[in-house]
Amino acid sequence: MKSKLIQKSVTVTVAFVAIVVFSWWLVANPTSDFEESLPGKDNRGKGIVIEENIVIGENFERVTDNFEVLDETWPRFRGADINNISKSPVKLKDNFGAEVPKILWSLDLGEGHSGAAIYKGLVYILDYDEEARSDVLRCHSLTTGEEIWRRWYKVNIKRNHGMARTVPAVTDDFILTIGPRCHTMCVERESGNLLWGIDIEKDYQVEVPMWYTGQCPLIDDGNAIIGLGGTSLMIAVDCRTGDKIWETPNPNGWKMSHSSVVPFTFGGRKMYVYSAIGGLVAVAADGPNAGSVLWEEPAWNHSVIAPSPVCMPDGKIFLTAGYGAGSMVIQLSEENGVFSTKVLDEYAPKDGLACEQQTPIFYDGHLFGILPKDGGALRNQFVCVTPGNTKNVIWSSGKEERFGLGPFFIADNKFFILDDQAVLTILRLSTKEYTKLEQVQVIEDAHDAWAPFALADGFLVLRDSKKMVCIDMRL
Amino acid sequence: MEKKAENRREFIRKSGRLTLGLAIGGLGVLAASRATAGEWVWQIDPFKCNQCGRCATECVLNPSAVKCIHAFDLCGYCDLCGGYLKPDANERSTAAENQLCPTSAIERKFIEEPYFEYVINEELCIGCAKCVKGCTSFGNGSLHLQIMHHICVNCNECSIARVCPSDAIKRVKASEAYQVKGSWSKPL
Repeated sequence: MKSKLIQKSVTVTVAFVAIVVFSWWLVANPTSDFEESLPGKDNRGKGIVIEENIVIGENFERVTDNFEVLDETWPRFRGADINNISKSPVKLKDNFGAEVPKILWSLDLGEGHSGAAIYKGLVYILDYDEEARSDVLRCHSLTTGEEIWRRWYKVNIKRNHGMARTVPAVTDDFILTIGPRCHTMCVERESGNLLWGIDIEKDYQVEVPMWYTGQCPLIDDGNAIIGLGGTSLMIAVDCRTGDKIWETPNPNGWKMSHSSVVPFTFGGRKMYVYSAIGGLVAVAADGPNAGSVLWEEPAWNHSVIAPSPVCMPDGKIFLTAGYGAGSMVIQLSEENGVFSTKVLDEYAPKDGLACEQQTPIFYDGHLFGILPKDGGALRNQFVCVTPGNTKNVIWSSGKEERFGLGPFFIADNKFFILDDQAVLTILRLSTKEYTKLEQVQVIEDAHDAWAPFALADGFLVLRDSKKMVCIDMRL
Repeated sequence: MEKKAENRREFIRKSGRLTLGLAIGGLGVLAASRATAGEWVWQIDPFKCNQCGRCATECVLNPSAVKCIHAFDLCGYCDLCGGYLKPDANERSTAAENQLCPTSAIERKFIEEPYFEYVINEELCIGCAKCVKGCTSFGNGSLHLQIMHHICVNCNECSIARVCPSDAIKRVKASEAYQVKGSWSKPL
């Protein structure tokens, strides 16, 4: 009798415990202490908005009128033909022997990556003066470095991996600049007189790109061509009057990138190709529909784009960007005045030619560029490919010869490459092989030497983040 | 002749004492050296590390004793942080789908436009090095891995060092146990 009672009690207890455990198992949520990662947890805010009354180009100072007039020009980003290939006949050194390159002059600049434009003996730089807290358009003598004049305006810029990072566009008549916060200024080239200014951020509700504006302005047929984002996608402004010639609508809400507008003629039409954040677009450059969109390719959409599109005569366009974006090759076609695009290839940076910051060079049917750090085994190497197969590397600089985010260009049948620490490498120009001719430190203790080169009359102008120098490269 | 025999006995006795003393002393030195073996610890050279990800999987501890640390003085405080955001992330926000870290171990804090601070939650970090790879590829390299000695059991043979493809892990003096970039200070 007693044992039956015990047996019954045990059974009831076990059943009760089982029910409790089962109930707990049903009710308990093992993820109850999980925390959702939702947008906004960083408390992103607008910060303290300081209303600034920016008067573009308000100040001017002329120091001297004396400089040596020379013949050649490097009038804008990537040179006269926007291809980073110098047509100068001046023969250049391909080695320095036992000597170090002789620095003709040097100039301390605000932290940044803005390169020089050169026009007949004068060097133009858009700098940010950290003490004066101003965007400054500087004009210096190419042969002596002596300051000729400067025009500046107050604007507050915080340090953010450099400040000024654009190259002025220069013609016989005009100089056009875009400052870190999209302030666009046009002045007379010789006198430095202010013609007009546009606050693009304010007037077109453009979102200033991360790390400030990288787009280098373009002057074409006397018009300033600026890729925007915001309320318009692109504008053309008369350099003389400041009047708006045309304005391209932006129905997709694409944003400004660091990429620069490239003029391109294909299928009998001249167009301006712009790699915006949102997609690639071509705007009619002339004709009755100037300013209207000829074609667009939304498949090319990345959050940070610095290199410009490389447009080739057969209608292939090579597109590349950093931060893991990789590259894309598209084919542009035209039939009866109607343009269409087709994506031929798209790949990760480890799978073929890709560039993070500089624009690849198209020369003699080949493309040349430096792979980014996430470029796999060929990371940071200078490579050569063909546009037909940009994944097949014809030659590379090798694992012992790696570069960084610095510039490269072609002059006098040579490649010139600058690495992050301002070590200049000179190569024989070849589509067959990598042949190093010279490698030499140009700026001591240099850092982030990313600004594009400029070359005219045998004078090579380059810079690191804080100092610009000029070397006499003539034989 | 008898005096000579006494000297020999004395010599043997003294030799015996000396030998015994040396043996005991040697044992003491040996014991002391064993006791101080912990003065050498394993550590990662951040400049050799190639962010292969094996620190997360090869450590005898789970989660690994390897953690990411942040050299704030090297950081650019970028909005677009290659160590925090996936490449080509949809947007620069704290949404899970945009984060590179599989355990959400990096906290992103807005400082002021355009600066953001990134802080590692050591408890959540598994040492996978995804953030280190992103920071090294696209940033200043301020995020890097270190073996944390308040967690590490200091194995005779570090199981991560055995498979490290870049020989980045080596024995270092305990007095210099951390090989950090910048001015990061080791945890208490």
